[in-house]
Amino acid sequence: MSGKMRIFAGIVVIAIVAAALGVFIIRGPGPLDFAGGTKVALADYRAGKPTGVPAKLEKAGIVERGEYLTKAADCMVCHTKPGEKEYSGGLAFKLPFGTLYSTNITPDKDTGIGNYSDQDFLNAVQHGKRRDGARLYPAMPYTSYTFMTDEDVLAVKAYLFSLPAVRAKAPDNTLSFPFNQRWAMTFWSAVFNPDTRFAPDTSKSPEWNRGAYLAEALAHCGECHTPRNLGFALDNRRKFAGAITAGWRAFNISSDKATGLGNWSDQDLISYLSLGHAPGHGSASGPMGEAVDNSLSKLAPEDISSIVAYLRSVPPQPSPNLPATTAPVAPASHRDGVTADARGKQVFASACASCHGWSGESPVSPMATLTGTWAVNDPAATNVAQIVLSGTKRHTPDGALSMPAFGHAYTDDEIAAVANYVTARFGAKGSKLTAKDVAELRGQTAE
Amino acid sequence: MHMATVLTINGETKSFDAPPDMPLLWVLRDILGMTGTKFGCGIAQCGACTVHVDGKAVRSCVLPVSAVENRTVTTIEAVGSTPAGAKVQKAWLEAEVIQCGYCQSGQIMAAAALLATTPNPDDSDIDAAMAGNICRCGTYVRIREAIKQAANGRQS
Repeated sequence: MSGKMRIFAGIVVIAIVAAALGVFIIRGPGPLDFAGGTKVALADYRAGKPTGVPAKLEKAGIVERGEYLTKAADCMVCHTKPGEKEYSGGLAFKLPFGTLYSTNITPDKDTGIGNYSDQDFLNAVQHGKRRDGARLYPAMPYTSYTFMTDEDVLAVKAYLFSLPAVRAKAPDNTLSFPFNQRWAMTFWSAVFNPDTRFAPDTSKSPEWNRGAYLAEALAHCGECHTPRNLGFALDNRRKFAGAITAGWRAFNISSDKATGLGNWSDQDLISYLSLGHAPGHGSASGPMGEAVDNSLSKLAPEDISSIVAYLRSVPPQPSPNLPATTAPVAPASHRDGVTADARGKQVFASACASCHGWSGESPVSPMATLTGTWAVNDPAATNVAQIVLSGTKRHTPDGALSMPAFGHAYTDDEIAAVANYVTARFGAKGSKLTAKDVAELRGQTAE
Repeated sequence: MHMATVLTINGETKSFDAPPDMPLLWVLRDILGMTGTKFGCGIAQCGACTVHVDGKAVRSCVLPVSAVENRTVTTIEAVGSTPAGAKVQKAWLEAEVIQCGYCQSGQIMAAAALLATTPNPDDSDIDAAMAGNICRCGTYVRIREAIKQAANGRQS
């Protein structure tokens, strides 16, 4: 080898090592690596059954088991466009580089998944591969579903195939180059899809293992609550530290005492997950409201408890951009307290005060109480602006409560003003939203 | 199918069948025949449906009936028997506030709730309490006047 060749070969080797190291560093740990215990193959785990359905459904047929798992995996929210038939797809995800539409997963042979064999379905759900061999975009959280057992994935398939076939073709994606190159996802998947089934941890309780399976393989909490890395994959070094997803802020759900769930009681967490509300912590809305309504509220009580046990074990990850304590109740009179934004106050008086009160404690329902919620204590006011724009409708055991959408009633300027007023009055630190910020938030929500 | 719902409205106990998520306004108007409370926008943005729950002005069009069980509901039909409500109604007549009248039961309920907690409201108090009650006829000037009159009358 000549000297030049040797230098060239050296550079190539260094480049390959550097690239491999870069990939390794960017990829970081897997979602369950924080636990650090002894993992065993599912077949060798004797302490309990972390996968499948709860005890009451153990004897049920595959379709019924599949229904429970499909709800636990929350397939419906993304695969249904509001107002259209369930699972018929077409929901638009607005990304910085174009729009992605969810697919029809009803058993229609032309436009749905009616031609999928069991292996085709496993390939899609666990490996991110479509029946025609094309790669799925990771908007489909197959890097989470990959932890599901084959048995559970096929039960989901059995349930989906029991539903009426709906003929509905989703619009074509409008992603720009290079994101429209599906083949490139092969590399993404090779790096970021762990492509492995759930392995129980013998150093942890059976309840923890069940919770881990539910939270990681099915409920895919991290897809919204874990920040993303350079490759748009989950950065599990900051597991559950909170992130912005679809224009809404998914708050910190690590065990951090100040800004995570460390100060929530078990009862608070159980209530929030199963009803979408916990006294003093506010109500789930936006994507989390949907997750509660369509998925978490359908889970068996012991499964909710398992998720809580698992969440408790996730190491604290402080959110430095959130206040250490949430603000107390605001004064009862409009005169007292912060009135930084006269225009915001005017909007609040006419559109908000009758339900939320001037103190933040709702005269209507504890579900509409603003005091203590992260939304009003977030100095970025992301979720305050979002809920003003799009409203909410919550279904609870004792009736429905709703907030109208004001996105068409008020200008971006007015919505920014009222969000700034609300966060200043009811939160620890007022936001400084501008009309431009609100316009950007409008552009990010899935529809 | 549904358990009978029991509410205390204007001091009387009312029992009826209604789904728990039915808005209180529907119960008042369609089931109990109390049509003094009006339907305006249906999304808590105009104030025509205002009633008192535990003395506070709330919009009955978005309030599920299940949320007011065991709480005290007062409507326009009986607000005249509260001290603040009586003053407001008297002032309303003296100032000839009403034009078409559709929003006025809501206006009176909001004003009565205001005076019950703030006996001498200034303009900013009136703005804060009344901004959510819309009047298409534009009787706002007379509403403000009548609230002040009711407040003064209360003092004398």
